[in-house]
Amino acid sequence: MVAVAPAVRRKRAKSTDDGVLTVGRSRAGTIAANTAGILFSVFMLFPVYWVLNTAFKPANEVLSLTPTLLPKDPTFDNFVSAFRAPLFLENMLNGVIVTLLAVAGALVVGFLAALSIARFKFYGRKAIILVVLVVQLIPFISLLIPLFLMLQQAKLTNSLIGVSITYLVLILPYTVWTLRGFISGIPRELDEAALIDGCSRAQVFWRIILPLTGPGLVATSVYGFIQAWNEFIIINTLNSPDKQNLMAWLLQNQTTRGTAWGPLMAGAIITSIPVVIFFLIIQRNIATGLTAGAVKG
Amino acid sequence: MRRGKYPFIIGFLIVPVALYCTFVVAAYLQTFQLSLSSWSGLGPIEYVGFDNFTKLWHDELFWKSIRHNIFLLVLLPIVTIILAMVFAFLLNVGGGHRGGTTRGVWGSKVYRVIFFFPQLLALAIVAVIFGRVFGPDKSGMLNGLFPESWKPWLFLADERYAMLCILIVLIWQAVGFYVVLFSAGMGSIPAEIYEAAALDGATRITLFFRITIPLLWNTVQVAWVYLGIAAFDAFALVNIMTVDRGGPNGASSVLSLMIYRNAFEFSQAGYASALGVVLFFLTLTFAALTLRVTRRDSVEA
Repeated sequence: MVAVAPAVRRKRAKSTDDGVLTVGRSRAGTIAANTAGILFSVFMLFPVYWVLNTAFKPANEVLSLTPTLLPKDPTFDNFVSAFRAPLFLENMLNGVIVTLLAVAGALVVGFLAALSIARFKFYGRKAIILVVLVVQLIPFISLLIPLFLMLQQAKLTNSLIGVSITYLVLILPYTVWTLRGFISGIPRELDEAALIDGCSRAQVFWRIILPLTGPGLVATSVYGFIQAWNEFIIINTLNSPDKQNLMAWLLQNQTTRGTAWGPLMAGAIITSIPVVIFFLIIQRNIATGLTAGAVKG
Repeated sequence: MRRGKYPFIIGFLIVPVALYCTFVVAAYLQTFQLSLSSWSGLGPIEYVGFDNFTKLWHDELFWKSIRHNIFLLVLLPIVTIILAMVFAFLLNVGGGHRGGTTRGVWGSKVYRVIFFFPQLLALAIVAVIFGRVFGPDKSGMLNGLFPESWKPWLFLADERYAMLCILIVLIWQAVGFYVVLFSAGMGSIPAEIYEAAALDGATRITLFFRITIPLLWNTVQVAWVYLGIAAFDAFALVNIMTVDRGGPNGASSVLSLMIYRNAFEFSQAGYASALGVVLFFLTLTFAALTLRVTRRDSVEA
């Protein structure tokens, strides 16, 4: 609110000499807006900066009572000791496997489900859409007990498969919802044209709709990746430490090692890198991906 | 497209429907069933009727947790949406109009990335970081910034401020996502509308309240529901950040934390299930109420 306040005083739009319309462009307003933006950026970035700062500091500087803005002797020691820490590499590999399985599964299952919801009218279609929506809303934590019991019966606790399936279920609603938006955006005339040209219906799906849904598949897989990669409550509950992922590793180490902040923060950075890379890839399209599912009725 | 569509529909939907029937529907039925038992998590299941719910009614920690969830439920959406709206507006329209195009403030692309950044950090990492930010002695980040002579603030260790700290972290984490979401919505508002209003002499503030907010109402509604759900959950942060997990003295306990601890630490699977049932109905009621109360005739854009 502060940021735009000075604009109030300007009751009317002014026409500049060259006849171009200029609105609310008081200099004070612009300065206030930029100040607010910068202050808020500092608030948003400070903790991230602190992680980086700590990760590159040698152990004696981390715990120093007079913290410095930048490491005096920047070092990669913390990263090395994170990699050498027990279970770090195993847990990283577990995370990769579980995430890839869940995302790949969710894409296949979700694409087909989205296809049938977007392209066919059938009895129970509305009910399925409603269920997809509702499932997204309920905190998963109230399902942990039955989930544990079910997977235990199926001998899938303490296994990567059990966690992968659970993650698949977790990211599926978003996948279906978003892909449905993308598929509804593809004109039906394309399907019909292809059918007239002699394509079978399966070919229409495979050759027309699948390629055109490409950006949607990328957006949803990145979202699914972030969800599955960052999850730790389920994997922590279902599996023993050697079958967990890096998030669970971080927490384990936070409690057991207490003050080894350097390696812990280095571990946090390593853990975040894949997500940051994926984010940078789709950064331009992120807004499209977020809203595509929401628009069409 | 009429003949032979059912093989496709059945083939395409059988896997997701089966998954949902086992993982969600059956799981909820089991939660309902267990909520009527005194099961510890092992051994035979003994049914005790509504005993868990009477116990819950008299449980002081339960009411405390509900109050904390409501605290988050009221403040998290309001503060986050206001902040995100203001910044999305600045990023998109804040630079005013010139030469017929609407512009954001200088550097708006950089801001957009910065604001989205916390979204990339896992909640586990966020919680660990903010545990340090709110450290209750001089080694804590904020206390380290305060003047030497100040007595260190307790933050999470202070019963009065523990929930406030949680709220701040939740906002910090969420706001960027909604800036991007609202930005996308604002981008789809036709520039002609702004121009017409500007010609009529509207200031930036008028544009914001009379054009942006009404046209974005649907997005705000969605944001409200999502933030409300986040307020009902909040498990990860409370579990990792707070003193004694939910303490001090229950000052930061929330429903999801109670469920988890009863189920996996106190061997009270039956009681935890009863809490799960409560959470289920609270969430659904909230979502239904929000969608009903905020319903408006949408403005044709």
